[in-house]
Amino acid sequence: MQIHYIKYLPYIRKEEDASDAMMNQGVTDTITTLDPNSLEHHAVDSSHGQPPSYYAPSTAPESASWTMYGAVNESTGNKTYPTANFSHDQRPDPQSRNNQDGLTMASVSTGSTSGAANLEYANYATTTATYPNNDPYGYGNTAYAGYYGNYQQQPNQSYPQQQPNQSSQTYVQPSQTYGQPAGAYQSTGAPHQPISTFQNTGSYPGPASYSTTYYNPGDYQTSGGYQSGNYNTQTNSWNQGSYPSYGHQHQHQHQHQHQYPNYTTDSNAAYAAQNTPAPPLQYQQDYSKQWTDYYSQTEVTCAPGTENVSSTSAPNLVSPVPVPAPVVANAYSAPNSQQVASTPSIPSSWKPEPGLSELPSVQHSAPINNVHEGYWNQGNQGYQNYHVTPMQPGFQKPMDLNPVSGSFQNQQRPEGPQGPNVQYTASHQVAQNYLPPPPPPPPLMAPQTAVPFDSNRVINKVQIPTNPRISSNIPKNNNASTVGPTKPAYISVSLPNPNDNTSSHAPADSADKPGMLPKSLRGYVERALARCKDERQMAACQNVLKEVITKASSDGTLSTRDWDTEPLFPLPNTDTINNDSTPPSSLMKTRRSPSRRAKSRWEPLPEDKPVEKQSFFTPESVKSTGSIHSIERDKQFSTGKPDNKENKFNNLKFFLSNQKETNKSIFRPAKRQHIGDGKNTPNNNNNNDSSSDSDKEQSLTAYYAGAITLADSPEEKKRRENRSKRFEKNHGNRTTTYNKPKNISPGNLYTRRASVSLLANSNSNDDGASRAVEDIDWDSLTVKGTCQEIEKRYLRLTSAPDPATVRPEEVLEKALVMVQDSQKNYLYKCDQLKSIRQDLTVQRIRNELTVKVYETHARLAIEVGDMSEINQCQSQLRTLYAEGIKGCHMEFSAYNLLSVVLHSNNSRDLLSAMSRLSIEARKDEAVKHALAVRAAVTAGNYVSFFRLYKIAPNLNTCLMDLYVEKMRYAAVKCMTRSYRPTLPVAYVAQVLGFQSTEILNENDNNNTNGLDECTDWLKAHGASIVMDNSGEMMLDAKASMASLFMPEPDDAVSHGDASLAVNDFLTRSLS
Amino acid sequence: MASYMSMGEAHRRITEYLNRFTDVVSYQDGTSLKQLLSLSSESPSFLALADALNLFQDANRVIRQADKYSQYAEIVAPLFRAMQSYRVGHFAESYQAFEKSANAFIQEFRNWESAWALEALYVVVYEIRVLAERADRELASNGKTPEKLKAAGSFLMKVFGVLAGKGPKRVGALYVTCQLFKVYFKLGTVHLCRSVIRSIETARIFDFEEFPVRDKVTYMYYTGRLEVLNENFPAADHKLSYALSHCDPQSEANIRMILKYLIPVKLSIGILPKRTLLEKYNLIEYVDIVLAMKRGDLRLLRHALEEHEDRFLRSGVYLVLEKLELQVYQRLVKKIYIIQKQKDPSRAHQIKLEVIVKALKWLEMEMDLDEVECIMSILIYKNLVKGYFAHKSKVAVLSKQDPFPKLNGKPINS
Repeated sequence: MQIHYIKYLPYIRKEEDASDAMMNQGVTDTITTLDPNSLEHHAVDSSHGQPPSYYAPSTAPESASWTMYGAVNESTGNKTYPTANFSHDQRPDPQSRNNQDGLTMASVSTGSTSGAANLEYANYATTTATYPNNDPYGYGNTAYAGYYGNYQQQPNQSYPQQQPNQSSQTYVQPSQTYGQPAGAYQSTGAPHQPISTFQNTGSYPGPASYSTTYYNPGDYQTSGGYQSGNYNTQTNSWNQGSYPSYGHQHQHQHQHQHQYPNYTTDSNAAYAAQNTPAPPLQYQQDYSKQWTDYYSQTEVTCAPGTENVSSTSAPNLVSPVPVPAPVVANAYSAPNSQQVASTPSIPSSWKPEPGLSELPSVQHSAPINNVHEGYWNQGNQGYQNYHVTPMQPGFQKPMDLNPVSGSFQNQQRPEGPQGPNVQYTASHQVAQNYLPPPPPPPPLMAPQTAVPFDSNRVINKVQIPTNPRISSNIPKNNNASTVGPTKPAYISVSLPNPNDNTSSHAPADSADKPGMLPKSLRGYVERALARCKDERQMAACQNVLKEVITKASSDGTLSTRDWDTEPLFPLPNTDTINNDSTPPSSLMKTRRSPSRRAKSRWEPLPEDKPVEKQSFFTPESVKSTGSIHSIERDKQFSTGKPDNKENKFNNLKFFLSNQKETNKSIFRPAKRQHIGDGKNTPNNNNNNDSSSDSDKEQSLTAYYAGAITLADSPEEKKRRENRSKRFEKNHGNRTTTYNKPKNISPGNLYTRRASVSLLANSNSNDDGASRAVEDIDWDSLTVKGTCQEIEKRYLRLTSAPDPATVRPEEVLEKALVMVQDSQKNYLYKCDQLKSIRQDLTVQRIRNELTVKVYETHARLAIEVGDMSEINQCQSQLRTLYAEGIKGCHMEFSAYNLLSVVLHSNNSRDLLSAMSRLSIEARKDEAVKHALAVRAAVTAGNYVSFFRLYKIAPNLNTCLMDLYVEKMRYAAVKCMTRSYRPTLPVAYVAQVLGFQSTEILNENDNNNTNGLDECTDWLKAHGASIVMDNSGEMMLDAKASMASLFMPEPDDAVSHGDASLAVNDFLTRSLS
Repeated sequence: MASYMSMGEAHRRITEYLNRFTDVVSYQDGTSLKQLLSLSSESPSFLALADALNLFQDANRVIRQADKYSQYAEIVAPLFRAMQSYRVGHFAESYQAFEKSANAFIQEFRNWESAWALEALYVVVYEIRVLAERADRELASNGKTPEKLKAAGSFLMKVFGVLAGKGPKRVGALYVTCQLFKVYFKLGTVHLCRSVIRSIETARIFDFEEFPVRDKVTYMYYTGRLEVLNENFPAADHKLSYALSHCDPQSEANIRMILKYLIPVKLSIGILPKRTLLEKYNLIEYVDIVLAMKRGDLRLLRHALEEHEDRFLRSGVYLVLEKLELQVYQRLVKKIYIIQKQKDPSRAHQIKLEVIVKALKWLEMEMDLDEVECIMSILIYKNLVKGYFAHKSKVAVLSKQDPFPKLNGKPINS
């Protein structure tokens, strides 16, 4: 995990809007104080902090089953991770969404585990709980995987500890790393009953046990070895046929797995690969099992409330397990449904989360309570309801966890009460929290998720006028998020060879848990479903599967039959297109997913061309994007391995070619959708509109899943070959199949990505000439915004920007004016300016407007002393000025100089800053002043310093403000050393700039004010003050000499500015 | 010249070079090998060979012809390419090829037990750096990112690793270190020096006095400069003085480079150079500064700083020189004290603020009472003046014993 993190770091830094340390911190703070839950989490965190321990204990004995699960989990985890990372930015919601979206079977399963955690925490409905958890799980993929494995094999023993641990871990992670999530927590936490549950979790903390189960390298290895062995062979065989590159990737993955002990990140990748094959069914079953286990565990450890929950959940889980694929789907759906239910409310809840700082959540809390009570009920209901619909989506998308979740949500939404939603949010938060730790793998994914977050936020926050587009985006975002980065991960997870997973799982599961479907059967179902490209197929497949399973169970061969070798029934023909989808692709995706997110993120975005838009809609296009991401990931992972590059290229080629084909066919439908979305969505912003959104999501997810599946399966090879033809014929069909009536809103992101992929394809051509990502003409892909909203919240991008949420230059100009004229506080303005900056960056606008924006932001930041923003803006401005763009160059040269002098005081920096000054610059008033200040500081000349302080031009004063305390202290130290016997306080006050001496002459009141202030200051710093005969306050120099001290600032905040404290931030942003 | 060369002549030259190379290696003749590897020497024989190579395009065939050549093909083949590119002025390509050759050379060098090829290695290391600098200049002029010097830096680190072990080769480590310093200082990534310095100064395998004097001087010069940047004057003084005293008195340019940093360091610990020294080494930019310190002439100091600001900023001594201001103030007060003493010894230790203000006014430095009071306070605080300041009467009361303590090689308290 740590390694992952590190990898991510560069990414984060790269981001122009690097997450604010303050934000994070604030989040944590809030967590601790606000959320009882969070507190508990913290406790957990401590355990969390022992990642090594995790690795150390290995559950090796059960490695086989473990590996399977772990693989699945890992893959999911990987997928989610990216999102998580990005979500760090403050968008827990997107993450959750992603999770949902991505929640293919695997995710669902993870959800179940997470659900357990949730249960413990808040007694959340198991299902809902799972959802949120799912996300987090995904993040800690490996860990989760390990958990799963443990669970399955050693359900009883390890479970109790593990479960609590997991929950705690996940929670902890969020709190630690992500301030934002914490914020979300707060909102939820306050209202939540969960507190009690959380406490339980606190008690759980068997960190040690956690560690063991979690990351055990040993487990991984074993799993890797086991699975990988199977997997690799399988994958290789698949790949060999048509996709040599795939084979390579697989091998790489294998290697990774082997390396696992060494490389956590790699292991993730590898895991993902492994996971990919695993069919959703397996997951579901596993989950259910796990759930049951969890529940049991929870009962033991958890508070009474939790126990109840667990019990309920257990039944749910159980039911899904016994039931064939459909059942499983239900189980999954249940979690999903909860989520869905929550989703309607989610917007609100989400908003708080994203806004962690801003407004998290009253809503959350309220819902949470409700959720607890109603959770299970809802969950149950939802299950039933869901069974029908959700099942299909789930199955159809078995490959794509996301789609399933999306569909679930949709279904759930109508049914699900808000209460569940609340839980959901809570879970989401958790997920968010979790996400942070996993970040390493997801980088690519993250960007996408971030986008969704934004959209979610917007939607959620009523305060901000939501753009219709944005609202529409929400679903899109989710889809996109899943599709882009997450999807690959998911895909990998879900897709993972069902066979392997199922087989391994089956024995363990069946043995351990009666009533469960054999793992191999799960695998079989997964395999069967994996072939399905779209929902229709899925449904058809499910029906067939039902028949098969019921038949098997009736004749008693259910557990005896060798499902691993059982031939798959022919795919029911719903859609030719759909049929094409196969699971294998997941492996590829997973491999790719780890690498290069950063690049993708930073790459210029594709422009909105009509064609591109069309492509957006097409599911395949989405796929293609996903593939790219995955490729990138692969690269990252591959680093260190010579073969990687080749693989990457191959993959790219592959993807590109696929995309091309798909794109062609898809475009038309996409277009339609797009139009519809654009105009219809505007009203959908409200949370209640979730149905439409969810539908969209579902459709998108389905598409994605299909696309994903397409990639690797051997079956698909042929299909791919024929695809182009099919597509041409199938256009109509596809549109219908892919695009559900409500699904119309396609993720713009997707489209973009698709377009990118298209471009890449066009470059590479079908001939297979592989083109490196670097070779793509990114310039031509630069986003052109279409958003007309002036106000927009800042969300750090975790995926390709969506043109519909990006404002064009003229709107940005208005936005800047709006910010400048705004009477709101700095936090609001900072947020707005950052979003403006983001839009500028995304559209690669570098002109005087850009300079103006950065200057405005820098000035505002200087006024409040927000050093991190000051530095960001300064460095941007330096390059902008260097490019010859006009602005207030001199003014900012002065600021720059002052920043160096006053804050870093590194002589080399100072020298370079000074030598950079031109002759004209030296003549500028502000620069001269700054140079004089520098001289005063180096000489320790406090008199001169405070004189300069009073006559400072522009905002030089504000920068100097930050140094005043230091300067005063040094001055008083100097004075006490050199003056004897005493020194009038009035003189000190005058010389050290306490109030202005000029006013002193005019107004006695001010004078005394300055005197009082000075006296207080001196006293606070340990000076001894005496009265002389005339009653004048005198500083006793000698006595003070030894007693002077620098008091700890009582308003100290780690980020250096109390005004930016999270609590404050939250309250202010609410206002 | 090349145009007159026949193919046969070209072939002859190439084989001659190859023969020499193999012979030199087999005889372990480091000095001769050194000459064979030096690109930038641009000796006539090298130029002729380069022309021959450009004429006779397929030198690799010649190398492959005989086993005795081909065993060094990894060194010689890229070296030939480097020579060819160098001859036609493509330094980036030349660097690329030369680094490849150097890599192969390092491999061989690692296998030679004795240090006979140390001289040749020095040449390789030097060529790498010089070639990288030229390549970067070429790249920059073509609008490309200059990155070769950076690459050279990492290559040199590798070479350092080869040398930094027990055995006779370790004495070569300091040479590489110095080349690394040059690279880092040029790149402005001075912080990277630290790791090398640490291994030189803490590793047991190195006995500093065992290194060649040349390298020791260079090393001390660069580390001294680093200490100047850190404003650690005693350490800087020690290192730069070592460099100065061990530097070859004949190489005045080197002495001047050392003095450029040593003088500000000495000034800041209160030691002033003789004017003749400054003149001998053409360091006249320091003349006024030294004069200002002698006279307590604040105006002159400021003027001198302003006049040579660019130079001082570039060499990094500006901030050091600026801090001499306090010593100038001290000198000024001391002068006032001496004059007062001549007038009225009994009251000489009481210096009125007004007097100092007046003195500064004569120097055309407009400062009011508060500011001068602040400066007096600082002087006392920094122990440049012994005594105290009476705010009420605006008088600085000096200690009767040694009111102006000399720095005597110690830095000002801060």
